[in-house]
Amino acid sequence: MIKRTYNFLCSLDLSFWLLTLIMVVMGAASFLLREGSAINEIALFKWIAQSPASETWWVWTVLALLAVLAVNTVFCSADTIISRISKGGILRLIAPQLMHAGFLLVATAHLVSAIGGEKEGGQIIQGMTVQLPDSSSLRFDSIKVATGMYGMPTEYSAKITHISQTGTKQAEISPNHPWFTGRYGLYLKNVENGNPPMGVVELHAEPGASAALAGGILFTAGNLLLLFYRRGREEGGW
Amino acid sequence: MKFLLIAAAALHLFGAGKRIPFVLATLLQTIYVVMRGLELGRLPIIGPHDTIAFYAASIALMALPFVVSRQLSSSQAFAWITAAFSGMFSLFSLMFKPSMFPLPPVLKTMWFEFHVALAFFAYGLFTIGAVLGGIYLAKSDRKILDFQYRAALTGYSFFSASMVTGGIWGYYAWGTYWLWTPKELWTAILWLFYSLYLHFRLKGRDWDRVTAWCGIVGFLITIFTYLGVSMLLKSSHSF
Repeated sequence: MIKRTYNFLCSLDLSFWLLTLIMVVMGAASFLLREGSAINEIALFKWIAQSPASETWWVWTVLALLAVLAVNTVFCSADTIISRISKGGILRLIAPQLMHAGFLLVATAHLVSAIGGEKEGGQIIQGMTVQLPDSSSLRFDSIKVATGMYGMPTEYSAKITHISQTGTKQAEISPNHPWFTGRYGLYLKNVENGNPPMGVVELHAEPGASAALAGGILFTAGNLLLLFYRRGREEGGW
Repeated sequence: MKFLLIAAAALHLFGAGKRIPFVLATLLQTIYVVMRGLELGRLPIIGPHDTIAFYAASIALMALPFVVSRQLSSSQAFAWITAAFSGMFSLFSLMFKPSMFPLPPVLKTMWFEFHVALAFFAYGLFTIGAVLGGIYLAKSDRKILDFQYRAALTGYSFFSASMVTGGIWGYYAWGTYWLWTPKELWTAILWLFYSLYLHFRLKGRDWDRVTAWCGIVGFLITIFTYLGVSMLLKSSHSF
């Protein structure tokens, strides 16, 4: 019984079926996602809790399939290492396992963000002060925007002052340059050159981001190692 | 400047898979992309015209090592079919007006440029994999399947790197490294599909024809992910 379960969980056929099913469910979901859905506005699990099952069934299905795929990946990797370690070529053996570990880390990161992610947004006016969730406050000292020949904004930024019990700090935020405090990142999303200038900001908490980056780096390292070992191989050697 | 693309397409389509016309056509496509980049002051990777021209050039550029490879020299069909794909996409790009709009501030970052360029290199290699899959199914020469695997593995590496850089860009630009939109779902599908494809190799030679067919199916998923999602589904990633 144990042997049969182990063989089932190590099975490459199981990986094929799981990957195929995940793709089919995701493909169906891409046609079912409603425009204006709040799925990207709140943490995934909060969205699941608030939304009807007719909208969320595919997330549950993908999560269940991914959970089995994660177990399958761990068993396949462990089985490969155990059966081939005595044959030498450690780095060649490790390369695909690093990719598997990277994939598992990224999947875990998504889970962490789906549980603990936060997103708040709102309009700001130059000179305005807002309260942050950690009871510190943020003042928007100045908002600047430059427009191009078609009237579209080409550059915009806001100078901010963060006031907390530990002191006062000044910073500048602009597209692709958020400002981080603790677990939160402050993003400048849009500005309008009125009198006074106004803008839209969002406060994000993405607790899985570091793990996702670590997973991405691990995966890339394994991938490069694999490419290095398989370069120039002749027929049948791949 | 459009004459560069027309000349490249003509060389690709009427070069009969010969190396010199292929290399010349690829050079013209590359010069066009570089000149568009100089004109815009950035990588030309926004809008249907520039992205399709970039994709066409990526197919030819990524195919160059295969075209000049001595091991594939017996298969003129490969160079001919790949050239036809690249030439047709070059002509297809001319159906759209080149965009001269300034880049929105959120796209002004190297992470975005890496993300898109790497994705197109991957798309080019997946296209090459499909051509090799078709040739294998016609000739049953296993050497061709090895080349298909090399194209898919390299494409998969580019695509994975594109997803990583896209995640970094998304985190700095939008506050999240992942959005649940049709484009992202199809990106995940494409990545999972090639993960599946690469594991087929472990099943041995009995699965060779399935593997070859998967290279072709992968190309169809690639085209749907790139063009189909933008045209048929609502997504934050429309060109």
